Amino acid sequence: MEILLQLVFSGVALGMIYAVIAFGYQLTFATSGTLNFGQGEALMLGAMVGLSLAGKVLGGPYLNYWLMIPLVMVFGLLQGALVEFVGVRPAIRIKSEFGWIMSTIALAIIFKNVAENIWGKDDLKFPSPVSEAPLKFLGANVLPMEIIIVVGALALMAAVEIFNRKSIYGKAVVATSNDRDAAGLMGINTRQVITFSYALSSMTAAFAGVLIAPVTLTGATMGSVLGLKAFAVAIIGGLNSGIGIIVGGLILGIAETTTGFYISTGYKDVPGLVLLLLVLAVKPAGLFGKTAIKKV
Amino acid sequence: MRKLLAAAVLLGVVSLAAYPMVAQNSYYIHLVETIMIYAVLLFGLDIVVGYTGQVSLGHAGLFGIGSYVAGALLFKLGVPFLLAVSASIAITACFGAVLALPALRVTGPYLAMVTLAFGTIIQILINEMTFLTEGPLGIKVPKPTMLGHKLTEMEYYYVVLVFMLLSLVVVDRIVRSHLGRAFEALRDSPVACDCMGVSVYRYKVYAFVVSAGMAGLAGALYTYSEEYISPNTYNFELTVLFLLAVIMGGRKTRSGALVGATVVVLLPSLLADLQLFRILAVATAAVATISAIYLGATKRKSPRQLATPVVGTIGMAVFSFQLESITDWRLTIFGFMTLFIVYYLQDGIVGWLRKALGRVAPGALHARRAAAAAGDSEHVWTPPRRIASGDLLDVRAILMQFGGLKALDRVDLRVTAGTIHGLIGPNGSGKSTMMNVLTGIYTPTAGEVMFDGRRISGGSPADIARSGIARTFQNVQLFGEMTALENVLVGLHHTFRSNIAEVMLHAPRHRREESAARLRAASLLDFVGLQAFQNEEARNLPYGKQRLLEIARALALDPSLILLDEPAAGLTAPDIKELIEIIRKIKEHGMTVILIEHHMDVVMSISDTVTVLDFGQKIASGKPSEIQNDPRVVEAYLGGSGADAIAPAPA
Repeated sequence: MEILLQLVFSGVALGMIYAVIAFGYQLTFATSGTLNFGQGEALMLGAMVGLSLAGKVLGGPYLNYWLMIPLVMVFGLLQGALVEFVGVRPAIRIKSEFGWIMSTIALAIIFKNVAENIWGKDDLKFPSPVSEAPLKFLGANVLPMEIIIVVGALALMAAVEIFNRKSIYGKAVVATSNDRDAAGLMGINTRQVITFSYALSSMTAAFAGVLIAPVTLTGATMGSVLGLKAFAVAIIGGLNSGIGIIVGGLILGIAETTTGFYISTGYKDVPGLVLLLLVLAVKPAGLFGKTAIKKV
Repeated sequence: MRKLLAAAVLLGVVSLAAYPMVAQNSYYIHLVETIMIYAVLLFGLDIVVGYTGQVSLGHAGLFGIGSYVAGALLFKLGVPFLLAVSASIAITACFGAVLALPALRVTGPYLAMVTLAFGTIIQILINEMTFLTEGPLGIKVPKPTMLGHKLTEMEYYYVVLVFMLLSLVVVDRIVRSHLGRAFEALRDSPVACDCMGVSVYRYKVYAFVVSAGMAGLAGALYTYSEEYISPNTYNFELTVLFLLAVIMGGRKTRSGALVGATVVVLLPSLLADLQLFRILAVATAAVATISAIYLGATKRKSPRQLATPVVGTIGMAVFSFQLESITDWRLTIFGFMTLFIVYYLQDGIVGWLRKALGRVAPGALHARRAAAAAGDSEHVWTPPRRIASGDLLDVRAILMQFGGLKALDRVDLRVTAGTIHGLIGPNGSGKSTMMNVLTGIYTPTAGEVMFDGRRISGGSPADIARSGIARTFQNVQLFGEMTALENVLVGLHHTFRSNIAEVMLHAPRHRREESAARLRAASLLDFVGLQAFQNEEARNLPYGKQRLLEIARALALDPSLILLDEPAAGLTAPDIKELIEIIRKIKEHGMTVILIEHHMDVVMSISDTVTVLDFGQKIASGKPSEIQNDPRVVEAYLGGSGADAIAPAPA
């Protein structure tokens, strides 16, 4: 029983990371109907930059963990804007779905390769900002960092949601996601809004990167699988449902840690992806998603 | 042109056949063998990417399944070559179906992500299921034995050549048949495709399964070609490489697939040699700069548009001289190539050559298509289906609710067979919603629609269309990249009975159906006066002609009820006269027409009955003359309070 509880705890922490990345998918999908296939790489770059600032990798540490976070988030904003500018904007202009899918994938490949060349191909250890001694909770071990992950992830998503609902910039984002053309006619610079949504999306991913890095290994290849499973979460929950991604993230995270323990770590990625196919077969809009009626 | 193409194909086949004798070197033979194997996969991938316009990131996984089915069958059971290949095709096609059935229910980026997930699962499974696949160790496979003789590298080359040519012919036949037209139609306008009785979902799955089968064949051939397979081959980069090859070569062409396969197979060797890469990078930069100067000087492109490719390619050339080791940066270079191709070579090498050829010798490219049938007036109409008498359509208390809005509020509508029934009302009164409910695009919240005595509400648009309801669209929904004739041929899809095997073999039945359909399509185009535009792409037609083409396409469905949604919108006065004539003829041939129109003169002159909707409710129904004097109708159109409306309207 303790083992199961412990698996659930680490599953929850993992699930929250998925939820944050999936949240990033939702941000860009809402404004432009596009996704960054390099979201996992944005996470990886965030973690790597964080490691360079707060770890010993590139002659550091220059800053402590907490001071490093805002810098990494700024880096994420810039990285996301770059992706949008190079990969997505031209594709939206020529209305090519193939275009943005391929170019965000190409950028992801480039980022990964560049990271390999800067930081090497081996996984690195990210120093934990808090004690690595587990706390006892209901008889199961919980890492303090896992609690920080859950709190941090929820806080970030809440902050972005509040920003979107309360500020005038957020209103522009919401307006653009409802109807891009009408928002444009009302004087909103929708292209800027889309760039901004990409920046926000990569920022959340970079933040997720520095959150998860201390409990896992950090390396150039850490991103792709995380990004893919976060997409599974976004589909399982629904690409337009806030609650959906949190529930989806928890389901996937727990499914993964339990499979890894009870079956084999080699298979741990399988249940999430199978679940993804099943949800699509039964309810394509996601468990919490609303089915959109397309007007002719 | 036709002869030229045949000569080119023949030359290609002969040179491929002669190649091993000339090359003599097993490394080079193997290289071309790999190109042909990739080409088989790309023919299939092009069906999905080029024709149906879906993005699949799962083809490396499918390729892996094909490889491992053949490998495992041989390794574990010693199954003979041809049987192993057939099993690979069949099993991979099954996997394709398992993937496509859920994934293709959704559109857009979903499919890309789901197929990506599928590819990842497959790679994990190959790695983990050691009892079948030997896991990371891989499987060693000898060259196949045929008739008791173990094939040499050169003999196997010919086996691959035969399979490649077979796939080429088969794919070419499929995409030129009614199946291929369905694939293209569903990409250009899914909703119109469904309303022509061609189920978008079913044909998307069909295309994906065919494509998976091809990937399976390529995988099996690859196993015997390499003589060793291991899980790491079938990774994400391979999938991207395949997609890149399709785009780089050129969508919707077999030659494009061959060109693309050649480039991606040679790519690793190109990227292995730093010196060669530097030369190529400088050459690309030079070409980009020169064409930019040319395009800039002739003012075809603005300096802003030209800056990116020039700076990019020059940057790449400079970068190539900074590099010390190319292997570390291989993927970065690959990524930049992808970006470049996606934005500056969208039509691929073959597409670009065609465009260039089109500029030099316009018309040459359409020569092949121009072999079109001549139509005649006899073949416009088929013997009508059983003509119903009484009410053909009976709409009972239909309620269509969008959130709190009742777009149709318990509307009853009866349409008598063989009449023209006008449906009018101010904007937003629910006319188009009614059309969409009748054709199954919307499922009504409550109420039912009876057509010819059967309940059709709740059925899929494709089923309803096949049961005999055709429509046109308010905002024209043609298959833009297809010619006018092909648009009508999609409407005639229901006349085809032949299956995919008959298409592949060019069986007599298929040929008969195809020529009959072409004759019929040409006749229908004659009927609406579009005979001169047979081979023009629909998107290039003037607006008025597009509306007429929609009518021809709807008639091709042999409907008993045809719904015309504002057919006169945007037409000139002479065109409108022609349209009225066409609608009259449609009625004369026993079809029932529902006509939505804002041109009151048109509606009032040809309708037998008119129904008026306002704010989702039926406010009047009757003969045109009665409707014109109905106070509620006058009020709905001209406004005024209830009291004013009682006063008779000025005639």
